[in-house]
This record gives sequence, structure tokens and C-alpha cells, in this order.
Amino acid sequence: MIESLASLLMVTVVLVLGPYVVAVLDRLVATPTGAMAGDVWLGPLSRAAWLLTQQANATEAPDWQAWRLSPALYLALAAVGLAVVPWSPTLIATDLVTSVVLWGSVEALATVVIFLQGWSANAVLPLIGAYRYVALGLSYILISMFVLIGVALPAESLQWTQVVTAQESLWNVIRQPLGLPLFLVVGLGLTFWGPLNLADSTDLAGGTSAEVSGPSRLAWELARAVMLVAFSAIAATAFLGGWLGPWLPGPVWVLLKTLAVLALLLWLGHRLPRVAPERCVTLMWVVLLPLSFVDLIWAGVLALWA
Amino acid sequence: MELLTLVIILSLALGAGLLIQWLPQRHQPIPPYSQRAPFLGGGTPDTHAWNRYHIRYYPMTLLLIAFEMEMMFMYPWAVVFVEKGMMAVMEMGMFLAILSVGIVYAWREGVFRWQ
Repeated sequence: MIESLASLLMVTVVLVLGPYVVAVLDRLVATPTGAMAGDVWLGPLSRAAWLLTQQANATEAPDWQAWRLSPALYLALAAVGLAVVPWSPTLIATDLVTSVVLWGSVEALATVVIFLQGWSANAVLPLIGAYRYVALGLSYILISMFVLIGVALPAESLQWTQVVTAQESLWNVIRQPLGLPLFLVVGLGLTFWGPLNLADSTDLAGGTSAEVSGPSRLAWELARAVMLVAFSAIAATAFLGGWLGPWLPGPVWVLLKTLAVLALLLWLGHRLPRVAPERCVTLMWVVLLPLSFVDLIWAGVLALWA
Repeated sequence: MELLTLVIILSLALGAGLLIQWLPQRHQPIPPYSQRAPFLGGGTPDTHAWNRYHIRYYPMTLLLIAFEMEMMFMYPWAVVFVEKGMMAVMEMGMFLAILSVGIVYAWREGVFRWQ
């Protein structure tokens, strides 16, 4: 009971503080490139306050329910992702036997929710962003599944806590060297961040959120940031040994590893050029998907040999 | 208990996402129709939003479904993998090889190309 309440509190704290951490880290990472102006620590807060007080935009005949629901649903999906992250062997909100599958379903449903955001504005540019996202989503989801199955093989289980326990001798990031890089590509796709920002890109004047302003825009950006945090926490669990580590208590290790993955993703987001949408699908299916097969076979042979 | 916590977290996040939008907007008037034209980079809306847009991911979707069917087989496979040993590797290797031929065929047919 106390463990459940503690884990509930943990998820809530990450939900509230996560977006702020993402915004600050993003600004810190961007500072050398000069891409972002404004105060590092207060900038995110003043932007959030400005969005809250701004007038909300409307189009001629939007699908109102879907338009308001899609940011909330995206946030809820990210929260489900956070719920399956084990902070320690016992401090975990939802320790299902199939929690790896649950995370997989979060990734799959994200495509639906992001399409909904672009579709409900009833305007051309958001709809094109949504179409593009579906193509991207259909491409990255398989890579993610194969990489995650590779992680489940040595654990002989689809439970995140078992996946972490199986890494006691050696972390998966070393044991399956292809896994984490491929999974990071999935993370950039899932949050359409940086090089894989095809849905909300500037060449579509903001894509799926081109017509969104004010509080709804804030909700959408919050949800994206929380999804990035949830993804980083899952990556830390799957590849960096989760709570395992000397001296410090488990939850602190999970936090540190999550922050490291998050910083890496944000850095990649600023350093890599954006992939052209028409090349992205071929790249995913013809190059990255076969690489994920290699990762799976590698993981399988190693699991038998060990 | 596990599922109860999950449902609580799900509804908390969903509620928060809706409240953030509803609370500040509840007294705001909806902009008049003259202001509600879609943003088209300054252009006028001559066509419907559902105008033809040539994205041909239908064959790609079929390919995805083939792999998704394999995933259903793969989840239980991952759990008993070490127990079954080399046989499991061979089985999945054959399955993946057959599906990979599908990828090569789709690639040749230009399924992944947008034009």
C-alpha cells in the first residue's frame, strides 16, 4: 500500500517537473548553437504562462472533441509509459507480467493520437503533418518491437523488473550494442523530435499544431515533453540497467540514467539535420529494420550462449 | 492493485490534460468566422482540407500487418526462448527470412517511395 502510494507520488512528480526539466535541458544544450534566446531557467515558465493566457485559435469546422482530447490522450499515454518504469525492485506503479507489451501499445497508440491532432483542425497543413506522421509511425514501430524483444530474451520475461534483474552481470547497452542506438531513433520518432520532426515541422508552419494556440498548445507541448521523459526512463530501464548501480539508492540511479538519455536525445535533436520525409521511410524499412533483425539474432545467440 | 494504480495515473494525466485547456478557455469567446480561416501561408482556402494528397502507404500498411502478426507469435516466443534453445532461433530465423523477402519485394515495387 505504502509502496503503491510512493510510486504514484513519484509518477506525479515526474509528470509535473518533467516538462520543465526537458525545457531547461533543451535550452542548455542549445545555448552553444545560439538556437534559443531568453533566460534558461525562467524562459520555459514565462512561455508556459504566456500560452495559458493567450487566446485559443479556432478553425471553421474543427472536430472540437477530438481537438481538445488529443493532447490530453498523448499526455495520458506518456503517463502510462511512466507507470511501468521500475524505480527500484519494489517501487513501481504498475508491475505487470506483460509491461513490455504495455509500453509497445503506448508507442502504437501514439500514432493514432498524433494523427487525431492533425486531423481535427480541419486544415491542410496539419493534415499533411498527420499523414507524414502515420508513415513515420508505421516505420519505426517494428524497429522498436524487435529491439524490445531482444531485451526480453535474456530476461526470459516481458516484465520490466525482470529485464533489469537480467542486466546484473552486464548492461544491455554493452551486451546488445545495436539496441540503444536503434531505440534512440524510435524515441526521436515517437516524440517527433529533432531530425524526425516530420509532423510538427517548420516547413508545414507547425504541422499538426499549426492551428493550435493558447492553452491547447501548452497541453500539446507538455505532453510531448512528458513522452520524451517517459521514453528516456524506459530506455534507461531497458539498456542502462535501471536501478542497478553502486553506492546510491535505486531511484536516484534511474533518475540519473534517465537524465543522461534525455540530454543525449536533446543534444541529437539540435545537432542532427532533419531527415527528408520522402527518404525517411526507405531508411527505416531498408536500413534500420534489417539492423534490428541483426540485433535480435545477436541477442538471441548471446542469451543461449551465456 | 497494479491495474488500479494504472487507472489512477491514466485518469490523472487525462484530467490534467483536459483541465489545462478547459480552465483558461472557459470564459474565452470563440473567434468570429472571419478569423477562422485556416492558415495556408497567406493563401486563400480554395480546396477542402481533405484534398487529394498522394501518400501511398497502403501497401506499406499490409507489410506492417504481416510483421504485426509475427509479433503476436514473438511475445510468447521471447519468454520460452532460452528453454527451447537453438530450435527457437532457427524457427524465428526462417520466419524473419520469409518476411524479409517481402520487404525486398516491396522495396523493388517502390512501396517506400513517395513521389
